[in-house]
Amino acid sequence: MSGTGSRENIFPTRMALTNTKLRLKGAQTGHSLLAKKRDALTTRFRAILRKVDEAKRKMGRVMQLASFSLAEVTYATGDISYLVQEQAKAATFRVKAKQENVSGVVLPAFEVERAQGSDFNLTGLGRGGQQVIKSKEVYAKAVETLVELASLQTAFMILDEVIRATNRRVNAIEHVVIPRLDNTIKYIISELDEMDREEFFRLKKVQGKKKRDNEAAELKRKAELAVAAEAAGSDELPATGETAVLRNLVEDDSELSGPGDLLSSKDEDVIF
Amino acid sequence: MASQSFKDRNLLAVIGDEDTVTGLLLAGIGHISEQQKKNFLVVDAKTQVPMIEAAFEEFTERTDIAILLINQHIAEKIRPTVDKYQQAFPALLEIPSKDHPYDPNKDSILKRVQKLFGE
Amino acid sequence: MEALFFNVDAGFLEGIVRGYKTGILTQAQYANLCQCETLEDLRTQLSATDYGNFLANEPTPLSTSTIADKATQILVDQFNYIKSSAVSPLSKFLDYITYGYMIDNVVLLITGTLHERDTHELLERCHPLGWFDTMPALCVATNVEELYQTVLVETPLAPYFRECLSAADLDDLNIEIIRNTLYKAYLEDFHAFCQTLGGPTTDVMTRILSFEADRRTINIAVNSLGTELSKEQRAQLFPSIGRLFPEGNNQLAKADDLDQIRAACEGVVEYRSFFDTSASSGQGGEDPAAGLEDRFFVTEVHLNKLAFLQQFQYGVFYAYMKLKEQEIRNITWIAECIAQEARDRMQDFIPIF
Repeated sequence: MSGTGSRENIFPTRMALTNTKLRLKGAQTGHSLLAKKRDALTTRFRAILRKVDEAKRKMGRVMQLASFSLAEVTYATGDISYLVQEQAKAATFRVKAKQENVSGVVLPAFEVERAQGSDFNLTGLGRGGQQVIKSKEVYAKAVETLVELASLQTAFMILDEVIRATNRRVNAIEHVVIPRLDNTIKYIISELDEMDREEFFRLKKVQGKKKRDNEAAELKRKAELAVAAEAAGSDELPATGETAVLRNLVEDDSELSGPGDLLSSKDEDVIF
Repeated sequence: MASQSFKDRNLLAVIGDEDTVTGLLLAGIGHISEQQKKNFLVVDAKTQVPMIEAAFEEFTERTDIAILLINQHIAEKIRPTVDKYQQAFPALLEIPSKDHPYDPNKDSILKRVQKLFGE
Repeated sequence: MEALFFNVDAGFLEGIVRGYKTGILTQAQYANLCQCETLEDLRTQLSATDYGNFLANEPTPLSTSTIADKATQILVDQFNYIKSSAVSPLSKFLDYITYGYMIDNVVLLITGTLHERDTHELLERCHPLGWFDTMPALCVATNVEELYQTVLVETPLAPYFRECLSAADLDDLNIEIIRNTLYKAYLEDFHAFCQTLGGPTTDVMTRILSFEADRRTINIAVNSLGTELSKEQRAQLFPSIGRLFPEGNNQLAKADDLDQIRAACEGVVEYRSFFDTSASSGQGGEDPAAGLEDRFFVTEVHLNKLAFLQQFQYGVFYAYMKLKEQEIRNITWIAECIAQEARDRMQDFIPIF
């Protein structure tokens, strides 16, 4: 009963019982809240997953389009890759991170920030400039798609992390904290019951002792009275009084002598 | 954990073949810092794998990069390193290249997705 | 008189070039190429043409750039063969053809030097036609000043550099401005040289070079719209030859938008149609500038084909080079379309014959 399973190292008092019960209640509320959070996150997670999958496939098409536009540039202008690589100076295409809140989880989302740059304005000046400009636009669009996908993916990673953590917590509460509190409560109750029974037994013992003393005192007193009555001459009444008292005593004794019976009668309480 | 640091991340980086890098640079993502550090690496047939890995490590450790783009066929060359990479920042994105169409089955992220669904 | 002695020096080579010319892909061959499903098919189809088995030793994941490189190599070999057999003034004429590519190569090296890269790596990126023996010497230069001096000493482009640019300019100006300045000087010089040759060569080459000059002028005008390039700078990049020169050039230099450019080109009948959106060749005509490049290519091919109609002149050499270049572009384009599965755009190449 109270010995099985882990429990908290606590002094079994009524106060502690109340506290532990409160804590159990708290743990249960927390559990259901966390479970709800987990469900919310998972829903979101699934949605993002689907989007990631979709976006990844879309990216394939977009990038194909983009590299085709580069083929057009090569057709009209020739190889510009080295020039472009060397002319890169400062990024005109940047991203800005902003936050989004999903059930208390901060998800970053990237936003495209484009500055008007003139880096490659003159590329293909003599030939194919229009294609270069077009390719620039197509690639910028493609990168926008990529940025979008990156946001989704980051959200995916973070959500994944958070869901794992939440899951851990839910499971910990469900399988560790709550059983532990349960055990503690059981332990306290059984200890308290044990103490009750001891107290009861003690009281009965004390009562019995007291009764015995009282009877002894009564007998003594009666004897004295009888002596006095003998001295007075009449002895009818005290005899009947004496037998009644004796019978009472026997009944009391039978009750006191059966502590096993007493336990069994209280068993339901102990087990509950 | 990373909630503060991602505010400063605003660059994109790329490891890719010549065409991919050229295209992305045309879009304007190219950036060369004051220390002459580029945010792109052109990988051709002669580029050694350790060099790709070094660039990968460098880009993932830099604090100003928000998104790292890498051609899938190049990611394939350093797959163990890529698979090990779990951080949220910078976000790692595998992109197709001209000669290598996109294969969702190789993607580290999508592999995880499938694992999650498979369970 | 020209015709009388032409064959003494150049008759053999002209015959060779005309022979090469018949190897240029025909419409039927293009149709076959367009049927290809993969680059492997393309390789097979190409081996049935004059290209032969030029791709036979390439490893199987064939890339479009390999095809382009190999095809260019064939052209370069042909050119070198012709050049090695040529005597003056034809050899000089052929040299002039290579100067255009040299400009691109030198500009590439300048870019590398400006950014303090190891320019030796760049040598293999250079166009093989623009290769000259002393080019590796340019890689020794570590700063722009040195490079400028080396270019003056070592390259045939020295006059263009000397007249148009100073060492400081290399540092300050945008690389594209440098390139176009050089190209302008080159075109003018080439044009002047062709005038000295006289006879049909002058006629044919003037026509082609004028168009080339005009094409650059119009392109620069169109592409500099909305950039930081000032109008004075723009005007300086316009070659002072061509049919648009001088009034058209002046107008183009002042043009602020596409309509003014179009108006400037009205003066030449042939150029009017370039901006004609309704006759767009499948581009949809949403942007008149987009189809412009294609129409330039078509006209260039047309002019170069005309060059073959006249005999006893050097124009055929130039025309052959340009046609072959266009053909390589076409093949590359078809290969790209196959590789990237954009079959609907495949017909956008410029057929030659």
